[in-house]
Amino acid sequence: MTFARLALRTALTATVLAALPGLAAAQMSHQHTSEAACEEALLRCATKVTPAFGPDGTLWLAWMAGGRISVASSKDQGKSFSTSVQVTEPQLDLDWGPDARPKIAVDARGGIALAFSIFRDKAFNGQVLITRSTDGGRSFAPPKPITANNASQRFEAIGFDPAGTVFAAWLDKRNRAPAQQNGQTYDGAALFFATSRDGGETYSDARIVADNTCECCRLGLAFDGNGHPVVAFRNIFEGGVRDHAIVTFADLGSPGEVHRVSRDDWQIAACPHHGPSLTISPEGTYHVTWYTNGKARKGLFYAQSRDGGKTFTDPLPVGQVNRGPSRPQIIAGPDGLAMVWKEFDGTKTSVNLMTSHDDGATWSKPRAIADTNDASDHPLLVSDGRQTYLSWMTKADGYHFQAIEAEP
Amino acid sequence: MKRYLLAALMLLTSLPSGLASEEGALRPFERGSWQQVLRSHAGHPTLVHFWGVTCGPCKIELPQLGQFMKDHPGIDMVTISADLVPNLPAATRSMLDRAGLASAENWFFSDGFADRLRFEIDPAWQGDIPRTMLIARDGTVTTIEGSAEIADLQKWSDAQVAATR
Repeated sequence: MTFARLALRTALTATVLAALPGLAAAQMSHQHTSEAACEEALLRCATKVTPAFGPDGTLWLAWMAGGRISVASSKDQGKSFSTSVQVTEPQLDLDWGPDARPKIAVDARGGIALAFSIFRDKAFNGQVLITRSTDGGRSFAPPKPITANNASQRFEAIGFDPAGTVFAAWLDKRNRAPAQQNGQTYDGAALFFATSRDGGETYSDARIVADNTCECCRLGLAFDGNGHPVVAFRNIFEGGVRDHAIVTFADLGSPGEVHRVSRDDWQIAACPHHGPSLTISPEGTYHVTWYTNGKARKGLFYAQSRDGGKTFTDPLPVGQVNRGPSRPQIIAGPDGLAMVWKEFDGTKTSVNLMTSHDDGATWSKPRAIADTNDASDHPLLVSDGRQTYLSWMTKADGYHFQAIEAEP
Repeated sequence: MKRYLLAALMLLTSLPSGLASEEGALRPFERGSWQQVLRSHAGHPTLVHFWGVTCGPCKIELPQLGQFMKDHPGIDMVTISADLVPNLPAATRSMLDRAGLASAENWFFSDGFADRLRFEIDPAWQGDIPRTMLIARDGTVTTIEGSAEIADLQKWSDAQVAATR
């Protein structure tokens, strides 16, 4: 009898669990199936962590964990962190796309602008939310939409220009429905931008740079020597070719001509989930890295432009092809250029580094500087003007913040 | 007592297997699942479709594949949601249902270390979706990156049928 009841209960439990696959999966092996190590809003539970240095050398982190965006700071280059501040409460359906992450930027006076995306509906249409802190990160204003438009927006990028204006760019699907209503096909999304002259409290009306960009890849944002925004993005060229493009603004409100970074010829009707990285060195050279699987080339590549993004050098292959190099990041720091990316050998993910001291003409031999045996965020680079650092969140080993040692 | 035992045994023997094959039930795709898929369909022409709930092109292609499955009962249809969303089975299932793919063999990535799952399938695959693998009776694999042209699937399917004659 006891056995029978137990068996019956077990069978019924199995029935209930099977009828609710989400619950069953969650209960049986949540931590195994999740990218996150834990479910709280803590840094060690984060899946995406974004760093930024303030003018006083304080390191700021914005992260996504437990369905919330949190911020904390460090005065000792990441050895210890302040008590975190939750920017969002309650839990939000935050954009967990492979190329999505919260963005944080700090101005010359220590004002903090923050932006991130959520899924606004069950069809996974996105919405870009913005907020700011005017009290040194102790509190953040309630997040609000960057634009009143209700079409899908994702993959925002933000940065302060030298005069303290926030420049924001994102991918926006508002032109899709009108085109389709007119019987036209509309591929991808559009690159939109807006600016904020009050530190991220309010933004100007959204304006378009270009239609028919790839809809699912992060943007690369940098400011040129004149303080003008430059945006690198995966475009959709004629014939559905998802190669990279770049646009330099003449001023904060005037996007220039869109130029092509390379002709990889990746014709694909798909979401590559893999955007570019851009940095501009003190020499004024644009440095871009990206992933492609095109007919002309496959893998990770680097190219530079010395004419303000009009023309680029022949793409230089990066990383070991048989290790699936991915998620490239490049930065012009005080010791020259540094570039990192991920490789995977079937068991372990490593972060690989190469550096250049001649503005990208020659590069050091790549070397692994960190690794992990489980899920990890993209490796990111950040500089405080004296030193370049790797910022890398891993599920198994927590958050890494390490100085990039100069090559001999 | 006997009645209870009988009822319990009936539940134990019939329910779990019945549920496993229930239409639309999602199977967790973990380490080793890819070999399981290959083994269980060995010798049968099989279409394996990788997709994800947030992927725009996937939303357009999925119903086309639902129709393809209906028109080609001789092809084994397998879908694998390769998004990093182990926590959204309801959305995954709902999209499969609407696309007419409820009765396909449907899996979803259930390992937070998605790189490792992808590596088992194809080390060169960086996670772009949609992606379709056509596995012929003799095990020959044709990979289609991005949305598949239904005409190409038709051609492949015809060749599979011709090969059996």
